[in-house]
Amino acid sequence: MNHDRAASGPAEHLLAEYELGAAYDEMVGRDGCPRPHYQPLYDRVRQATPEDFRRGKAMTDLSMRQDGVGFTVYRAEEGIERVWPMDPVPRIIPAAEWRQIEVGLTQRISAINLFLWDVYHEQHILRDGVVPARLVLQGGFFRREFVGVNVPRRIYVHVCGTDLIRAADGEYLVLEDNARTPSGVSYMLQNRQVIKRVFPSLFNDYDVLPNDDYPAALLDVLQYIAPESASQPTAVLLSPGMYNSAYFEHSFLAQRMGIELVEGRDLLVDGNRVFMRTTRGLQKVDVIYRRIDDDFLDPLTFRPDSALGVPGLVNAYRAGTVALANSIGTGIADDKGVYPFVPDMIRYYLKQEPLLNNVETFRPEVPSHRSHVLANLESLVVKRVNESGGYGMLIGPASTREQREEFRAQIEASPRDFIAQPTIQLSTHPTFVDGRLEGRHVDLRPFVLCGERITVTPGGLTRVALPKGSLVVNSSQGGGSKDTWILADSQRM
Amino acid sequence: MLSRVADAMFWMSRYLERAEYLARAVDVTFQLDLDLHGVLANPVELEWNALLSRLRQPPPQLRDSEHPVAAVQRWLLVDSTNAGSVIASVNRSRNNARSIRGSISPAMWRELNKLHWRLSDTALRARVAESPHDFCDETRIGVLLFHGVCEATLTHDEGWHFIQLGRYLERAEQVLRILDSKFGLLERGEAADLPISNLQWGAVLKNCAAYEAYQRLYISRVEPERVVEFLLVNPEFPHSVRFCLARIMASLTEISGRLPDRRDDELVKTVGRLLSDLVYLDCGTLDGERLHAFLGDALLRCWRTGSLLQQQYSLQ
Repeated sequence: MNHDRAASGPAEHLLAEYELGAAYDEMVGRDGCPRPHYQPLYDRVRQATPEDFRRGKAMTDLSMRQDGVGFTVYRAEEGIERVWPMDPVPRIIPAAEWRQIEVGLTQRISAINLFLWDVYHEQHILRDGVVPARLVLQGGFFRREFVGVNVPRRIYVHVCGTDLIRAADGEYLVLEDNARTPSGVSYMLQNRQVIKRVFPSLFNDYDVLPNDDYPAALLDVLQYIAPESASQPTAVLLSPGMYNSAYFEHSFLAQRMGIELVEGRDLLVDGNRVFMRTTRGLQKVDVIYRRIDDDFLDPLTFRPDSALGVPGLVNAYRAGTVALANSIGTGIADDKGVYPFVPDMIRYYLKQEPLLNNVETFRPEVPSHRSHVLANLESLVVKRVNESGGYGMLIGPASTREQREEFRAQIEASPRDFIAQPTIQLSTHPTFVDGRLEGRHVDLRPFVLCGERITVTPGGLTRVALPKGSLVVNSSQGGGSKDTWILADSQRM
Repeated sequence: MLSRVADAMFWMSRYLERAEYLARAVDVTFQLDLDLHGVLANPVELEWNALLSRLRQPPPQLRDSEHPVAAVQRWLLVDSTNAGSVIASVNRSRNNARSIRGSISPAMWRELNKLHWRLSDTALRARVAESPHDFCDETRIGVLLFHGVCEATLTHDEGWHFIQLGRYLERAEQVLRILDSKFGLLERGEAADLPISNLQWGAVLKNCAAYEAYQRLYISRVEPERVVEFLLVNPEFPHSVRFCLARIMASLTEISGRLPDRRDDELVKTVGRLLSDLVYLDCGTLDGERLHAFLGDALLRCWRTGSLLQQQYSLQ
């Protein structure tokens, strides 16, 4: 590790001791100077005292707590409510860089939607051998019940939250596509509201694109996919309820869109049509933005023990009387085992080269890959293909011998269940820790909406791994978040 | 609106009203206890036990070297194992609000959440042993702020009316019970104990946030008959039973979207009859026993209103 000292200046300022590691740092270049688009923020931070930041951070925390922003871990009667910590130093992305992300994501989601239509219909891509058929057809997220079903407007993934990371040279890479029920967009919106309240002066030097249009754009998508018979479509958001860890987001989005937040017990299916129980009797529902996994959606089709779902919903969907966002069976597109093939999908369907690259990925299922993976467990990150949220992972450099042996045995037993990637040092970003700014690893989750056209909301959720050196940014694993600023073209630098 | 949402609106508001009344009752009893200390032999037993029995609460288990009065205060205010405590009521209200966060205004949620966090403050809770006043005051202010924010930020549509129903139905029952717990005093009519009677009937008024309003209207010593009249049938005071019933009637009318004289609507009929009984009530004829009978009957009709409401709008 080479530890360069960043910048000069009075020893007491917040960035005085800022250390650069091996990773790409978002604010400070290799030469120790701030990157041009960070210069104004850098100057402000140097003028600020730790006290200013401490006060700001306290206001941020209080504000988050009072708004009840966070996730809940319910234990016994009292329940434990954790607020997802927000770091007050924003992450900044210049306009040109953002444009690349935007076109790259648009390309990617286009290909994913074409792929889903294909695998649930003619399956050309499997027959042409571009993606191994077995991989798809035996994947845990492939819904064979849905083969041949026509989904409204041929869109499967309406809401996507793709995770991007930056390699040591600063290149944006796709870490995973979240094509089922991605969450986090409410934090993106809430973070902006809070930072405007707490550090308004930071905005003086920047032209930041607003991200506030997201709920309205999402509602447009929902109305676009409504059955044509509905002239004034009624959309609802289907949530597992207040004990779900993303409940804050569900209520937030329902409120911002002005639609009802419903639970399974509020809905019923009669004659293949979906209704909600209201004080004035039953009311027809046309579009469901569901935040419940496929497995729990309908006890008649999927898990019979699900109390969260609505019996008969899947048949109503098949009959076309109600639309779902996202559609059923999208999980096969963000299956970690299928992920290595997304670049091939882009070439196959769009006849284009991918604009955003994948992280190099090894598939133990391929014999040559397997031997490489097993020989290099200490330097690789191994992931189970059917887990998410930072669970079921082996981070080689941080692992113990026992953990590695455990994974070795599992990989040998069922190679299809794993992928392995080199340990990428996710980029670092100055983060307020213990009264000063230190580099912490971050990723970026932009949100893509797919309706009449594909839009990428200018912004995204920057997640930050708060423990020093940690590479795991998930909220369930000690992560926090940052406001993410996309700069307008007009920004002077 | 979803039946489940209507139900949560109703209970969110009802539990808050309950918390407010209980907080006020503890504070008033605490003050009364101090006042009576010099004049009565066992004010502690008298007043605190009366409060517990009105709430149908058993005396709390004493913790090590805990003063009995401190134990009652802890039990009623901050003990979350007591489902009827202020803290438990606020929690239930907040849980109802949580379950409908998308249907109430963000400012309402924020205010209720702030109240929850303030009441969870350990320093504030610790002070209860010494004086419950701060805790009670936080509760009352928090509830009032919530309703102020609700009034100003939530559309006065169906959901808002369910909030009014929860609030005023709970309030009507509270006032009826407070009056009923004192009807015995009216019977005895001990003129000799004027100062004490004054204190006790003053406490009844304070329990219903009615002391100053009463004074402005009657400009005199607290007279039991007038207290009863004020709290039962005053048309303009927000804590009188008649006022509450009129509000309930108005909200029911708005919700059902029908005229109140629909004969076949059992719910509207029940509320309408009680309201008209109150409007035409001749308070002078109510001596102790008759008052007790009237109050008991009115309470039953309030309960019936609650259960009809559940049937009609399929609240759980």
